[in-house]
Amino acid sequence: MKTFEEKWTAWLDGQLSGEELVEFEASLPDKAAAEAEKRDAKKLGVLLRRELGADVLRNEDFFSHQLRERLARESVEPPRKQAAEVSAWWTIRRLFWTGTVSLALFLVFAVFVMREKNPAEQSQYLTQILNARVDPAISPNATISMFEAKEDHVTVLWTEGLQSLPADYAAK
Amino acid sequence: MQTEATPAQADVSELDLVKRCQAGDTEAFDELVTRYRTRIFSMIYNMIHSEQDAWDLAQDSFVKAWRSIKRFRGRSSFYTWIYRIVMNVTIDWLRKKQVKGAGAEFDDAVELKEIDPASRTVPKADALPFETMERSEIRARIEKAIAQLSPEHRAVILMKETEQMQYHEMAETLGCSIGTVMSRLFYARKKLQNLLRDVYENI
Repeated sequence: MKTFEEKWTAWLDGQLSGEELVEFEASLPDKAAAEAEKRDAKKLGVLLRRELGADVLRNEDFFSHQLRERLARESVEPPRKQAAEVSAWWTIRRLFWTGTVSLALFLVFAVFVMREKNPAEQSQYLTQILNARVDPAISPNATISMFEAKEDHVTVLWTEGLQSLPADYAAK
Repeated sequence: MQTEATPAQADVSELDLVKRCQAGDTEAFDELVTRYRTRIFSMIYNMIHSEQDAWDLAQDSFVKAWRSIKRFRGRSSFYTWIYRIVMNVTIDWLRKKQVKGAGAEFDDAVELKEIDPASRTVPKADALPFETMERSEIRARIEKAIAQLSPEHRAVILMKETEQMQYHEMAETLGCSIGTVMSRLFYARKKLQNLLRDVYENI
């Protein structure tokens, strides 16, 4: 269903025909005024065509030359653009890999530190024993052997010849 | 629809030129540019009333056409296809400019044209000074009236009256329905009739 505006435009441009034309013209309240407006619209069209239709592009050849230059530049630029895109992509990938490697290194480092930390705690205990061993006045014939099963986190100390346990150890 | 080439030339080789363009032949594109540059420039100029900007927008339109020529499937004529690009570029530009300048820039442009002795309102053929002045004034009045239309209304009235395009071609170019084109045409004509009645009554 056409709106009034659509029918009016079609009527002005001579695009209405047959029953549609008869129906539309019958619906006009003042046909003489409508016809006058149609003539106005035609005059407007003539005016616009006369005044606006004659614009000529000056320096046509320069226009084409400038366009050719732009297109030539464009045909050279894509590799650069592509390189820029690749570079950006590499940067993102590099960031990703750098992050991943950093995380992996951190995890490896953390595991080693954790593993090292336990022996360090044990070493404090061992130090007390060993300090006691090196005091010939207390334990002249003392020997200490250490057996460690890292998988099971077990350390066995085998001591012989100790005259007495260190005071700190005894306290614990 | 008018082109710089004769209809026979255009019909016979346009598709061939487009195919060559799609294969990367810049000379074929140059030929298409030569055919349509004046009409495209003229259409843009009539919409924006600035020679330098019309030049730039016409260049941009052709560059965009070159970039996307591979997507042209030949369902419409090349001219309708490139016209769609031209309209998108020009209407976008007008909208941006209207946002920036609150719609007052075209009045300024008209005023500038009135004081520019080398402006294109001067007819190409030799004319008597009083005729030149009259044509210049008429042209300025028309430009001022068109400047009061929205970009979409400018597009339809110019396509219809200066390019003599069909409704379906305008609809295809503007990416809207034929009904919308007819409705826009109705309002654009009404407004211009009100603004230019004294001008066209006296010609």
